[in-house]
Amino acid sequence: MTENGIILSVQNLSTFFDTELGVAKAVQDVSFEIEKGKTLALVGESGCGKSVTALSIMRLIPSPPGRIESGKILYRERNILEFSEKQMRQIRGNKIAMIFQESMTSLNPVYTIGDQIVEAITLHQKKTYDQAWSMAQEMLDKVRIPNPARRMEEYPHLLSGGMRQRVMIAMAISCKPSLLIADEPTTALDVTIQAQILDLLDELQQSENMSILLITHDLGVVAQRADDVAVMYASKIAEKCSCKELFKNPLHPYTQGLLHSLPQLGARQKRLNTIAGNVPEPLNFPSGCKFHTRCPIGCNDKKCQTVEPELREVSKDHFAACWYAPGYETKLTTNPFGKAQDR
Amino acid sequence: MNEADKKNWGTSYGQLVWQQFSKNRTNLVCLWFIIILFTIAVLAPFIANDKPLIININGKVHFPLFDTLTANDYSVFLAAITGITLVSLIRRNSRKIDPFLRSGVLWKQVLICTGILLVGIILLQIFFPRKLDATDYRAMIASGKASNAIFPLVPYGYGRTDIKVSQKPPSNEHWLGTDDVGSDVLCRLIHGTRISLSVGFVAVGISSVIGIVFGAIMGYFGGKIDFIGMRLLEIMMSVPTFFLIITIVAFFPRSLLNIMIIIGITSWTDDARFIRAEFFKLRNQDFVQAAISLGLPLRSILFRHMLPNGIAPVLVSITFGVAGAIFIESALSFLGFGVAPPTPSWGQMLSTGVSTTGEFLWWLTFFPGLAIFFTVTAYNLLGEGLRDAIDPKLRKAV
Repeated sequence: MTENGIILSVQNLSTFFDTELGVAKAVQDVSFEIEKGKTLALVGESGCGKSVTALSIMRLIPSPPGRIESGKILYRERNILEFSEKQMRQIRGNKIAMIFQESMTSLNPVYTIGDQIVEAITLHQKKTYDQAWSMAQEMLDKVRIPNPARRMEEYPHLLSGGMRQRVMIAMAISCKPSLLIADEPTTALDVTIQAQILDLLDELQQSENMSILLITHDLGVVAQRADDVAVMYASKIAEKCSCKELFKNPLHPYTQGLLHSLPQLGARQKRLNTIAGNVPEPLNFPSGCKFHTRCPIGCNDKKCQTVEPELREVSKDHFAACWYAPGYETKLTTNPFGKAQDR
Repeated sequence: MNEADKKNWGTSYGQLVWQQFSKNRTNLVCLWFIIILFTIAVLAPFIANDKPLIININGKVHFPLFDTLTANDYSVFLAAITGITLVSLIRRNSRKIDPFLRSGVLWKQVLICTGILLVGIILLQIFFPRKLDATDYRAMIASGKASNAIFPLVPYGYGRTDIKVSQKPPSNEHWLGTDDVGSDVLCRLIHGTRISLSVGFVAVGISSVIGIVFGAIMGYFGGKIDFIGMRLLEIMMSVPTFFLIITIVAFFPRSLLNIMIIIGITSWTDDARFIRAEFFKLRNQDFVQAAISLGLPLRSILFRHMLPNGIAPVLVSITFGVAGAIFIESALSFLGFGVAPPTPSWGQMLSTGVSTTGEFLWWLTFFPGLAIFFTVTAYNLLGEGLRDAIDPKLRKAV
């Protein structure tokens, strides 16, 4: 394994849920790779399968009703889907850690902050209680919680949302995992705290040489923090490329729509731009390209309506699942998304 | 850390419940009543015993009461000391007097204490010599062989039979009268406290452990395990427990331990259902998911992270369960299926209230009945108080 090797490789992952109404295909055929020390952002609307992908990596899908239908998740070239529950416990927390979206409810209300971090530390490392306690205090200091000695003794309800998220981060990084899955780590926090938490993650990533899978729907966050981006739409990856490339040259009409609907600071707009229509239900996906119902070009195209496009390498390291990429704009007289690609 | 910091430290859930619980005077009265009952139960041989605490025989000082304490007595003392130690440790921990006593440490202490208790009881039961002292010290004093004796408050043993004074109503000699074989009723009541309370505790201990483990596994895994578990539980519930107990008791020797175990293994269904429901709710909580994602073992997730969050309804059911177990034991003893006669039991005393000649001996019915009534009522009120205290709707904003 080289210094900049691939830490996690997800190959053709499909996760389905058996519901009373039928099989909900929450994640289909998703593939991506995360390099050591890099950040991959997984972007998409609510319900597009981002979180299910993350939970699949941790093998936290409740089963039943959920099941990982097919695919491989290679952590350091070993397929963790074949691991026993015991092996999985060695991976969870120790090698792959996760931060949850809801910081307010992610800490156990009956134990003090200190106890919870200490438990995480003593679980995977050979430390005595006192050693772990002082290490936990260092961790809290590292995530910049003021007066950590006192906070260690406090119960979670005394902490604000931002502080709790810091505690969650401290817990997650306490075993120095090589991959951190951050499932919308800043969604429940206000904007100033968001920036602080993301800065903190950045800093920790630098110092620990950790890889991060950042799940978010905030393109502003993506632009600042991510190295690579995968855009998900309706259970599949629509576009995958480096972060710079995505903002410079988005190829999939869905990505363009997303970028176009970002509010622009200083611009005089009466209403924000939107992508017309709704995300299709996972129980009732449209035929062909899943985006064709909302796509300005695909909606009238026979091919888009019947045949689903594969994710293909359009230009170097830039993948898109669209029949018209690249340069679909030429097919239209007017660009329905305005000047999104000018950004 | 200075004083101001200490004051600002958080109140735990337990402290909040205690605040709410102690607001109600009835709860406190019941709690004190039960504490007094426990004290009486633990110190029973010192309160009611026909052996003197200290006696002078032929110029030599003897301590017959201490010499005749049995393995059971020492087991009870050991249990009491462990219980007091645990309560004080928990209180110390919750008040944060000692920064080294954190819940991780506390867990270990609880385990060590319980371990010492169990090992101690087993060793005592196996190795402690059985001492029989049939000396009638009163007769010795009367005949002038011994002097300067100090007797306990109630100077009769619970196993003493004296046909001469059988079925006597309350008098100066016997404050609550005597039963059909001439034993002192007050003495038997005091020693009966032990039986009733230990039946309540051990039986409920057994049933709640079975119920919690069973319910936790059903609630956490759900699916097929839950389905099979629930059907088993329903079969268990459809059997009339009391008749089952009577049937089982008929087959096994009449010992206290058997009765405790039988009550324990037939009354865990409610606890299992409560825990199952709580775990269903807790399973999808974020902190449980977070605990799993940290790679914690199943044991820790179930019993360290989920159980304390879902234990509240079971605590209430445990208090009611203690009352229920005391009641069942009394009923069994009343019907003659309980502990064997020399061992005192409230229910068994009740059954002697009607003599063979059909005479109604009110003091043999009234006092044990009162004891059962007050104990069961105290436990039920305690359970109700606890239920109100843990109800978040009744609590004011924190």
